[in-house]
Amino acid sequence: MDFLNNELMWFVDMYIVLILGYAILIMSSYLILAYLSTKELRSYLKKNSFVDYDVLLTSEFAPKLSLIAPAYNEGFTIEENVKSLLSLNYNNYQVIVVNDGSKDNSMEILIKTYDLVLTELDFHPQIETKKLKGIYTSRNAAFKKLIVADKENGGKADALNVGLNIAQNPYVVCIDVDCILDKDSLLKLAKPFLESHGKRIIATGGVVRIANQCIIKNGRLVEVNIPDGMIPRIQVLEYLRAFLLGRMAWGRLDGLLLISGAFGAFDKEIALLAGGYSTKTVGEDMELVVRMRRYMLENKLPYSVSYIPDPLCWTEAPEEFKIFKKQRSRWMRGTIETLSFHKNMFMNPKYKLLGMLSVPYWTLFEFLAPGIEFIGLLITVVFIILGLLNWHFFFLLLLFVYTFAVFFSVLALFSEERTFHKYPKQADFFKLLLAAFIEPLYFHPMAVYAALVGYKEKIKGTHGWGEMTRKGFTKKQ
Amino acid sequence: MEKVWELYEKGDWVVPFLIFSIYLFIGASFLLYVVIIWSRNKNISREKRRIEYSAAIEELMVAVVFEDMTFATIQKERSLDLFLNNAFFREVVMETILNLHKNYDGVYAQKLEQLYKDSGLINDSFKKLRNFRWEVKCKGITELAEFNINDAFENIIIFSKARKKTLKIVAINACIKLAGTKGIVHLTEHPDPIDDWTQLNIIGAFKKHDIGDTKGVELLLGSKNTTVITLGLKLIKELKLTQKVPYVAELVDRAPNSLIKYEAQNVLQTLTTV
Repeated sequence: MDFLNNELMWFVDMYIVLILGYAILIMSSYLILAYLSTKELRSYLKKNSFVDYDVLLTSEFAPKLSLIAPAYNEGFTIEENVKSLLSLNYNNYQVIVVNDGSKDNSMEILIKTYDLVLTELDFHPQIETKKLKGIYTSRNAAFKKLIVADKENGGKADALNVGLNIAQNPYVVCIDVDCILDKDSLLKLAKPFLESHGKRIIATGGVVRIANQCIIKNGRLVEVNIPDGMIPRIQVLEYLRAFLLGRMAWGRLDGLLLISGAFGAFDKEIALLAGGYSTKTVGEDMELVVRMRRYMLENKLPYSVSYIPDPLCWTEAPEEFKIFKKQRSRWMRGTIETLSFHKNMFMNPKYKLLGMLSVPYWTLFEFLAPGIEFIGLLITVVFIILGLLNWHFFFLLLLFVYTFAVFFSVLALFSEERTFHKYPKQADFFKLLLAAFIEPLYFHPMAVYAALVGYKEKIKGTHGWGEMTRKGFTKKQ
Repeated sequence: MEKVWELYEKGDWVVPFLIFSIYLFIGASFLLYVVIIWSRNKNISREKRRIEYSAAIEELMVAVVFEDMTFATIQKERSLDLFLNNAFFREVVMETILNLHKNYDGVYAQKLEQLYKDSGLINDSFKKLRNFRWEVKCKGITELAEFNINDAFENIIIFSKARKKTLKIVAINACIKLAGTKGIVHLTEHPDPIDDWTQLNIIGAFKKHDIGDTKGVELLLGSKNTTVITLGLKLIKELKLTQKVPYVAELVDRAPNSLIKYEAQNVLQTLTTV
């Protein structure tokens, strides 16, 4: 009996050490990333205050861009969204809207609004895609930048590949058609492509922010507000942490694995050489970045991936748990798929920082974290049932994790305050502060649950995105 | 230290560590909260002061620009000394006249330039050039160039060789504004590659400041640095300098590599057809 007790106690001790060790590891990594992000942000903002983006506007030497906007059943907003894409501050660009077999009247609206006619476009597709029904251009000179490709439904990645095949310019900007872009977003996204020092810039990513309850006028954001609903409000905080305290650091280390599918620019040649977007994953944005980087490393070509911290793209976040769960489970599936496609990169020195740090980090802290948390919860329940739980220690550990979570969110608010200051209203700041206290108890369990659903879906072999219903932005009359 | 080690050895460190960390996170969160509030209040009070100062500055501007009063007279009449000793007031004045100067030319611009000199703001700008922080240097350079202080050219051109790229671009732009092509001919000896962004800024500066006299641009084509040759070709193409065609044709014959040769042929074609 004593032996059994000793064994159990050893197991309990080991469990405590492991859980605490994991928590300390994850917290330390967050703090290191936050420190690097802050340094990078400061440096960027200092430099940026002397940048004259007008030189890009007026020069024929500005990088030529092709915007690719896949659209599926966007009839309700497509007219205004395309109009806003056509009126961005940039000269050398074209807009390619890919209608991915919409079941609604998106195509009719586009044809009518932009006076489109079928065109014979001279292009040589390099990536296999679903059948292209037709390519349209406008008879109206005011819309000469616009190309609309109508194709059979094949998913977002397939639609983006059609865009890559058609694009006539050396750089492509992949965006979600329902996102609200800052007027100068292309100017800021294009600049890094001109700044290479013997390294080829293969991709540039931008920050995405939450636009729920913000006021939109003529496809432009005119007033930033904090959402009333707790789910989107906490996502504001979550995005601030991820973009201001996380990705900025990965950008500095040149270890970024993910450029958000909502807004990112790519070197078309490398994207095509790497094989374009994969249709086998729902995390096509992350997978393409990893594959492009891998291509450069395997071919020993000097390269870099750049990252812009300015809030250039605003998107609608899910407001209901049902939609949120779908989105997050899909994100988890995308992460699992990407990491499994590229599993030989894990701790492989051939892939330098990417193999030794970025991929292990994503595996340990993005892919495995929800699972570890869930197992921890199960073991805790078992300990309670067996009467082995040291309640004093349990509450201390809980408080330790909770106070860190709150501290880290306040750090994100501090970073936002000292940099972009997009939420100047006092009430908005307090709303976000309150969200920081609520998040670990309310939102985090939901996020973990959604990630576990993602695991389950992956095991079951679920494919596809699932329907994502959006409420639409608040429009200013 | 021994106590800490003893705790570690016994395995009793976990609880004190957790308690310490919890206090640390609470303390740090509270501190950040206080700093955010302080920062917000500071911004509000700065904004209030800015509005307050703007009224006085507006009067000063009207008197100097439209009523032909000298700065010395205004200083005497309106006891500006107290204000002018205030760093923030000087900062607001600088911003205001800088913005006004960007929008005015002719006599009004000259009056603003005189005000910049008489009020001693010019000394602030020169002082900024000596600051060890590059971003402050950039500010100083921008101010001196905006007010066409040609005497600053020699000081500024030194920074156009700086390692910090932003400082280098700001300095080259200022040199172009102050002295046209004289501000870039030294690049022929530039040892490092000049990236596309810097090149675009140089071309932008020529266009923005409407530099008519482009004598010397052709010298860039003789550089050993191929990125400088590319810059020269781009300048000739973008500014449509047809008078430089013979130099471009000469470059086609003696181009250091096939890419430059192709670029030169391209420029030649653009400038000779139409």
